[in-house]
Amino acid sequence: MKRFATYLMVVLFVSASAFADAADVGRSLKVQTFQLKHKQADVAAGVIKPLMSADGSMSIQPAANSLVVTDLAENVKKIAAALAQFDAPPQPLQLSIRLVAASRGDAGRIDSALSDVAPKLALLRYNVLESAGSAQVTGREGEAGLVDLTGYRADFRFGEYDPASDSVKLSDFKLLKLDGDQLTPVLKTTLNLRLGQTVIIGATRQPGSQRALMIVVTARR
Amino acid sequence: MMSCDTFRSRFRAGNDEPAVLEHIRTCDRCLDYAAAVDPDVMFRALGGEELIPAGGVDAFVGEVMQQVRVRSAETRVGVAPVVSWPRRLAIAATLVAGVTGAMLFNRWDAPSRPGVRTPSAMHAQARRSAILATKPIIETYESEKATFVDVPSEEAGDDVKIVMIFDENLPADL
Repeated sequence: MKRFATYLMVVLFVSASAFADAADVGRSLKVQTFQLKHKQADVAAGVIKPLMSADGSMSIQPAANSLVVTDLAENVKKIAAALAQFDAPPQPLQLSIRLVAASRGDAGRIDSALSDVAPKLALLRYNVLESAGSAQVTGREGEAGLVDLTGYRADFRFGEYDPASDSVKLSDFKLLKLDGDQLTPVLKTTLNLRLGQTVIIGATRQPGSQRALMIVVTARR
Repeated sequence: MMSCDTFRSRFRAGNDEPAVLEHIRTCDRCLDYAAAVDPDVMFRALGGEELIPAGGVDAFVGEVMQQVRVRSAETRVGVAPVVSWPRRLAIAATLVAGVTGAMLFNRWDAPSRPGVRTPSAMHAQARRSAILATKPIIETYESEKATFVDVPSEEAGDDVKIVMIFDENLPADL
């Protein structure tokens, strides 16, 4: 009986030690400051937010363009790695823009260059698709871009690449229509483009309009 | 069974004939008569002689004591604990060890404990990271009266996304 009692005590001691150890491991917090060279600290804050634990916190110092992160030591390591990857020099980007004049007619007519998007636009019952110009633009994050299309002009700014959504922002995208020597603004917007995804922005006055201007854009590295 | 007349004719003081005594067990009037003649007849009528068991009192007592011992032994067997104390302790220790082991295993496997990551927890984190956050395609637009419609894709994982902008301010000759 004494032997079994001893065994019981040993088991209880070991389990109590294990739980006590489990409660303490990894609880120590670490504070580290990260100064960003190429990217904005507030944007970087959004990148590391998903990596932080419930015990973590961070503050942005705009003047120094830095982040002060307090978190578990292991998390701080991961955050450091993520920031090192994120705070890279501006990346080259490539943008493909196509303008399509879409309309609904009795007889369908599709420009051969638009065969890839025609099935998608057929969902909207646009069966007449005419190319209104296309262009390829290359640039870097933060740089401005200008595209001259047939009868239209587009200018914009490449925004920062967001690894969390694998997308790049196209800021202040302005589409202007050339009327002789005059440029008439058509629309102004800011777009988030996932890399490799073709986005079709259809612009028309009303849902029942028979005509629409389709802006087909694809961003790539 | 004898009649009352026969009883009264045969009954005398000190009579202990079984047939006579049998009659007064069932006849109250004759019992009163007999008690008046011989008060001790009541005790004899109880059948004192018949109380002596066959084989004698000693044999009877022996049998009774044997039964008492048998019953006592049966009771001891029935009430005795099924599991002894050492075995109980062993079972308790095994249960504690099992529960402790299971809890430790769960804590090791669970990703909820910050700071300590198992390979499986890191795998789960990697899988979560692989699911990208989504942003609206149109983040801003100059006209507040415009309506945006996300055209649902027919195919899962479609790499073409359509967003329609309905805006009365757009030029009529698009």
